[in-house]
Amino acid sequence: MPLLTQYNEDEYEQYCLVASLDNVRNLSTVLKAIHFKEHATCFATKNGIKVTVENAKCVQANAFIQADVFQEFIIQEESVTFRINLTILLDCLSIFGSSPTPGTLTALRMCYQGYGHPLMLFLEEGGVVTVCKITTQEPEDTLDFDFCSTNVMNKIILQSEGLREAFSELDMTGDVLQITVSPDKPYFRLSTFGNAGNSHLDYPKDSDLVEAFHCNKTQINRYKLSLLKPSTKALALSCKVSIRTDNRGFLSLQYMIRNEDGQICFVEYYCCPDEEVPES
Amino acid sequence: MTGGQVKVFGKAIQTLSRVSDELWLDPSEKGLALRSVNSCHSTYGYVLFSSVFFQHYQWSPSATITDSDIPLNLNCKLAIKSILPIFRCLNYLERSIEKCTMVARSDRCRVVIQFFGRHGIKRTHNVYFQDCQPLKILFEKSLCANILMIKPRLLAEAIALLTSNQEEVTFSVTPENFCLKSSSGESLDLTSSVYSEMSFGPEEFDFFQVGLDTEITFCFKELKGILTFSEVMHAPIAIYFDFPGKPVVLSVEDMLLEASFILATLLDYPSRTSSPQSLRLSQARRSDPTLSGAQEGKSRVSQTPESISRAAPKRLFPKDPPDSSSAAETRRASASQDDISEVPESVVSDMEEGQSPSPLRKFSCMFFGAVSCEQQEHANHPLGSLAVASDSEQDASG
Repeated sequence: MPLLTQYNEDEYEQYCLVASLDNVRNLSTVLKAIHFKEHATCFATKNGIKVTVENAKCVQANAFIQADVFQEFIIQEESVTFRINLTILLDCLSIFGSSPTPGTLTALRMCYQGYGHPLMLFLEEGGVVTVCKITTQEPEDTLDFDFCSTNVMNKIILQSEGLREAFSELDMTGDVLQITVSPDKPYFRLSTFGNAGNSHLDYPKDSDLVEAFHCNKTQINRYKLSLLKPSTKALALSCKVSIRTDNRGFLSLQYMIRNEDGQICFVEYYCCPDEEVPES
Repeated sequence: MTGGQVKVFGKAIQTLSRVSDELWLDPSEKGLALRSVNSCHSTYGYVLFSSVFFQHYQWSPSATITDSDIPLNLNCKLAIKSILPIFRCLNYLERSIEKCTMVARSDRCRVVIQFFGRHGIKRTHNVYFQDCQPLKILFEKSLCANILMIKPRLLAEAIALLTSNQEEVTFSVTPENFCLKSSSGESLDLTSSVYSEMSFGPEEFDFFQVGLDTEITFCFKELKGILTFSEVMHAPIAIYFDFPGKPVVLSVEDMLLEASFILATLLDYPSRTSSPQSLRLSQARRSDPTLSGAQEGKSRVSQTPESISRAAPKRLFPKDPPDSSSAAETRRASASQDDISEVPESVVSDMEEGQSPSPLRKFSCMFFGAVSCEQQEHANHPLGSLAVASDSEQDASG
């Protein structure tokens, strides 16, 4: 990489985090999937980078970019945390243009020197190098949804194709989405309620869209559609989705996104349930 | 219904959604009818899906009055904004839906629409409706002097050449020629409109009968919707009309379904000026509803369609000699857009004020000639209005 030749080992010492990508879209695509608020919190460990966005303390989105996705991933400390303007970060990542041109890739090197320092982005395409410095901020406390697998009551793994249909069809009719998971019919049902009617979308558990169906007890919860709508971006990019609810009615949506190089990233959405007024 | 049938059904709903914000489902032994009329009663849409359109069609009266053999039909009025989203992505529905069922239950005031799609996915929509008497309008289109039949694609290609901001379109016919024009009224403002005109010879038509040289102007928006629907059905569109002020009927018929749209036409050519005197005369006439009602009470049911005309009040005194000269001016003044938009409202409000409360009140303009008949019979027989409608339908088919 041309970027590599411009630096030596001594310069690496000043950065506590260095991450390099041959194709910047592998990062920007995943970050766009959680871009529904202006700011994000970044956590970096030796396993990779997690980017978190929250809204109204009721919904949280996490994007995981594993260290293996990066061509180069160096972290000097056990963990690195900072808050950053996600809008500006995404604008910088697509500074050479966001539409994929065949054969043209933008290389990225991302460097962070530590608390109080800006995030440095070195982007190169066709021999042209752009340097961006984005101010970082004090990280805020993020919610811990305490979503333990031991408390998970229901788990469904679907092909994203099936769920995309649901969100496009049910989207307009109301302000809440009701999710019913049951060991008996209708097994998995999405419902919306409007002024002059209601709509239900039923998935049989033996459908070829359903990869896994684990349900021991009927559970009905409602969620504000406005909180779930941002996740449709991740849904559009993903190939599979895992839908889990715990004993408190909290919803976890895990989207598996395959990037242009065939690697897997995960985007995760957590959502609090609305006041419980189940209606079959 | 299968996917292909759902597409046709959805297109009908989309077309009727351009007419009004409300829709009636009117099932009967013959099939399922969809009806729609806009708020100023200048456009009426009707689509009848015969029972053989459906793979399975079952209809039964919801109740029978013990003292009469007349069954009570389902009175089912839906909001377009509730049912239109269900049939929004028609191409997608056609591909992915294997079966669709519709069940109307009068006891629960709802229509259940279910789609059975690929991968076993089932989508259920419960749409609630109001119990509301469906309106019916009878218009004997075969009595029109001018009858044309053309493939919708030809007319749609011509329509596409008109600028999309046109509100009205003009058909001009002679025995040798059909001419399609953008409304000439807009040529008054030279900076904002383009005047377009296209001519067709009779050979372009499947059927071309012109018994009356005439020129009619009506709403462009509804015409586009109707043409889109005709193309989906792959059936020629028939156009029936007489002279300005009388309605134009656009009709599509198939073995499986028939659709008719009755549109009001402008009474006369748009005038360049409207004198204050003419406006005052218009107002004077409108302020005399009692006399209007009395005269119209004598008219027969067959004259009801004339009330679809936007300037219906102007026809209330066709043989009044002392006002003939000023009536001409009034008629010309009423053609301007401002007057057109005002007249229907005052007519409706005048009628409503003049009559006692009635479930048919909101349709008094549409049934102007029929309302009094129905009211008289209603006094004698509780279900007289249904009988009248039934008889009229038989007359129409005979």
